[in-house]
Amino acid sequence: MAFFAVALASLLVAEGLMAAGYGFPAGAIDAPETLVVVHLVAIGWLSLLMCGALFQFVPVLVAQPLRRPVLVLPVLACLTAGLACLLAGFLQLAGDLETDMPFLIIGGCLLPAGFVLAAWVLGETLWSARPLVLPARFVAVGLACLLVLATLGSLLAHLRSGVISADAIAVRRGGLVPLHAALGIGGWLTFSAIGVSYRLLPMFMLAPDRERATSRWAWASGSAGLLAAAFFAPLELVLGTGTIPSLSLAVGGAFGSVALFLYGIDLAFFYRNRKRRQVELNIKAAGGAFAALAAAALLCAALAACGMLDRHVGAVVYLASFGWLGGLGLSQLYKIVPFLTWLECYGPVMGRKPTPRVQDLVAEQRDGPWFGLYFAGVFVATGALLAGEPALFRFGATATCLATAAIAIELVLARRLANVSAALRLPEGAHLPRLFVASLGNRR
Amino acid sequence: MDHPPYDLDVRPILREGGEPFSAIMEAVAALAPGQSLRLLATFKPLPLFQVLGARGFEAAAREIGNGDWEVLFTPVRPAGPQAEAPQGASGEWPEPSQRIDCRDMVPPEPMAKTMEAVEALVPGQTLEALLPREPRFLFPELEGRGHAWKGEAQPDGSYRIVIRRGGRTEAT
Repeated sequence: MAFFAVALASLLVAEGLMAAGYGFPAGAIDAPETLVVVHLVAIGWLSLLMCGALFQFVPVLVAQPLRRPVLVLPVLACLTAGLACLLAGFLQLAGDLETDMPFLIIGGCLLPAGFVLAAWVLGETLWSARPLVLPARFVAVGLACLLVLATLGSLLAHLRSGVISADAIAVRRGGLVPLHAALGIGGWLTFSAIGVSYRLLPMFMLAPDRERATSRWAWASGSAGLLAAAFFAPLELVLGTGTIPSLSLAVGGAFGSVALFLYGIDLAFFYRNRKRRQVELNIKAAGGAFAALAAAALLCAALAACGMLDRHVGAVVYLASFGWLGGLGLSQLYKIVPFLTWLECYGPVMGRKPTPRVQDLVAEQRDGPWFGLYFAGVFVATGALLAGEPALFRFGATATCLATAAIAIELVLARRLANVSAALRLPEGAHLPRLFVASLGNRR
Repeated sequence: MDHPPYDLDVRPILREGGEPFSAIMEAVAALAPGQSLRLLATFKPLPLFQVLGARGFEAAAREIGNGDWEVLFTPVRPAGPQAEAPQGASGEWPEPSQRIDCRDMVPPEPMAKTMEAVEALVPGQTLEALLPREPRFLFPELEGRGHAWKGEAQPDGSYRIVIRRGGRTEAT
C-alpha cells in the first residue's frame, strides 16, 4: 500500500504542476522543469506503482512465494529518496535550487540501486519458477529493460551533471534520450503491464486463459523490438555517427507495433469469450486505457510516416504515459486496493461471519464519471499538444488532476470501509486496516 | 529456528527402486516448529517442491556431485499454535463429505466459498473444492486456522484441493 500511496501522491503533484503550466509545453521539452514532471510521472507514479503491483502479482503469476521480501522496503526507500534527489538535481539545473550538493549524482546512484534490488527480488522469484508461463516471460523482459533503462538513466544523470563528459563515451546525450524513453515506456512499463494483464484480465472476466499463439507471437515480436532498442541501438550509436539511432528505433517500433496489434487481438478474444457478462468498473475503465494505447501507437506511426514525430513526440509520450499506462494504473488500483483491503480485513473471518463482497467496498456508480473525466482530460490535453495550444493543455491537465484526486479519495474511503453498510463493516474478529501499511505482506 | 536441520537421505531407497515419498512425509510430520529438512536424493525432486511449497516450505537445491542433489526445505510461514500439525496423521483422511466447484467464480469468491464450507464441517471431516487456480491466498488462512490440506494442479490449469477441518473451532 505504501508503494501505491507514494505513487498516487506523485501523480497528483505532477498533474498539479502541469495544470499550473510548469514545464512542457509552456517550457522546452528538454528543459529541467519538464524533466521534473516527466520523472515524477515515470518513476514516482508509474514505476513505484509497477513495483508495488509486481511484488503482489508475480507470486500469483508463477505460483511461488516472493523471494527476499525483506528487500521490498529498501526498494521503496531507495526509489523515493533517489527520486527526491533527482528532482532536486533538476531544480539545480533550472536554477531554482542553489546548493552544492551533487543531487543528480546521488539520485543517479540511488535510483539504479533501488531498481536493481527490485529486479533482484522479482528476478529471483521468476527464476525459482522456471520454465516460465507466458505472462511471467513478459515481466522478465520488462525487468531486463528496467536494468538497461536504469543504467542509461544513471549515465544521463552523470552526463547532465558534468561528471562524465560526452566525449569520454563518444556518444551525444541527444542520442541516448530516445532510447531511455523507449525502454522506459515501451519496455519496462508497457511490457510488464501487458504480461500482468494477460493473467489478471481473464481471471476477473472469467475468460479462458490458456496460452494462445497470438500471445506467444506478441511476446516474441515485442521482445525482438526491445532487443533492437536495448542492444542494437547503443551499438548503432557507438559505431555510427553518434546522433540518433534511428534505424534501430524504427525496426524496434515496427516489431513493437506488431506486438501491440496481436495484444489487441487477444484482448478482444478475452472480452468476447468472457463468462462473466457484467464487467466491473475497473475493466470498463481499462477499456479507456487500451483505446489510448491504440491511439498512441497509431499516432506514433502516423507522425513517423509524415516525418513529424520529432515535433510532436511530446503528445505521443503524454498519451502513452497518461492515457495508457496511467489510465491502466488508476483503473487497476481501483480493483487492487479494495481487493487487498478485503483480504486483509475479512480474510480472517470469512466463512465464520457474513462478509461484504469486494465490490461493496467501492461505489462504482459514483466513481464511473471520474474515470470518464480522467480520460476526457487526457484526450483533450493530447489534442492540445498536437494543436500547440498550451492553455487548452492546462485545461485538460486540470481535469485529469481533479479526476485523479477524486479517485484517490475514493480509494481512501474503500480502505476505511466507508462504503460498506454498518451491519457488515466490522464483524467480530475483523480489524479496520491501517491506511498505508497493509499487514498482509507479513502473513504471506 | 534453534533446531538443526533434520537430515534425511533417500538415496538408498531410490537406488533400490523404492518410493521415498512416505518416508519424506513422515520426516516432515516429525519436524519441530521452524525446523528445516535436509534431503539427499539422486535427482532434483521437483514434484516435492510443489508439495512441500503448499505446506509453507521453501526449497533450496544444489547439486553435490555424481548427479546427487541436496535440498534444504525451510519453513517460511510460521507454523502457528495449532492443536495438531496440519500435515500430521496423513493416512487418515475420510472421503470428502462435501464437494464444491468454484471454478467459475471471480476472486476472492472461491476462497470465501471454500472457507465457508470448511467452517461448516465437523472437525476431521474433509471437503473437496475445485478452484480456478492455485489459491495462494487461501493457504495462510487454512494454516492460521489449523486445517490440513492436500492440493494438486489439474491439467486444465485449475486446482483441486481437499481440506480436512482442524480440531479447533476458533483461530487465535
